[in-house]
Amino acid sequence: MSDPPKPQTDGYVAALVVRRLIRATPEKLFAAWTRPEQLIQWWGPEGVSCPTAEIDLRPGGGYRIANRFADGALIWISGVFEVVEIPHRLVYTWQLEAVSASIERVSISFEPRDTGTEVVVTHERIGSAAARISHERGWNGCLDGLVRYAQGL
Amino acid sequence: MPLNDRTGRGHGEDRLDLILHALSDCTRRSLLKRLSAGPAMISELAEPFDMTRVAVSKHLRVLERARLISRTIEGRVHRCELSAEPLREVERWLMGYRAFWNQTLESLARYVESSDP
Repeated sequence: MSDPPKPQTDGYVAALVVRRLIRATPEKLFAAWTRPEQLIQWWGPEGVSCPTAEIDLRPGGGYRIANRFADGALIWISGVFEVVEIPHRLVYTWQLEAVSASIERVSISFEPRDTGTEVVVTHERIGSAAARISHERGWNGCLDGLVRYAQGL
Repeated sequence: MPLNDRTGRGHGEDRLDLILHALSDCTRRSLLKRLSAGPAMISELAEPFDMTRVAVSKHLRVLERARLISRTIEGRVHRCELSAEPLREVERWLMGYRAFWNQTLESLARYVESSDP
């Protein structure tokens, strides 16, 4: 490309934060998130099931989560743990294998509250449009409705 | 096996790639920010940056390809104007991630709350 060189850290376009208060302890939620036999029971949005997951829970350890979409497509999410602080915080890289070349980053924090635990997901380094594709497949058009709802149109 | 059916959305994906590429540079974002205050001539746009007019023009061409700005030429004067519509596409795309995580956390809540002793 003919563009001038750009700073290495500035190539990432987007990030988002999603949070939810759940009536359970951080320990229990951390285990649900990091033990394969528990993760496969709840992982994924509507229309996506998780047939299998491998998790090597340590900084530098890898993970791999299978996502089975309603139409049968199987997409693997994989990455490497950067931070593992039981039961408070997880940071790992995030890549949709065979879909996106971009390596994104996800941080999860489990913050104790009076009525449970607030789970905060921060998804960063979202720099490629390709990742959207696999997500779209599972959602079957609910996205438009959600956008309208969220924007109060 | 092709995991993704790109037919029918190839054009949109290409456009999104162009837009995200245009946004992935702090100089170009600064240019957009300046233009959000109103149209400007290229010489005005180049002023705050420590770079040549040619370099600024290259950035502007990237923004133009993404249709984030439009340019009108009167004689020798090039005027640039912000065109914010493509940003809505980025917003919609990002909402996809939000939906993914919202639904995933919903599912986690159902799982742990129903398995509470």
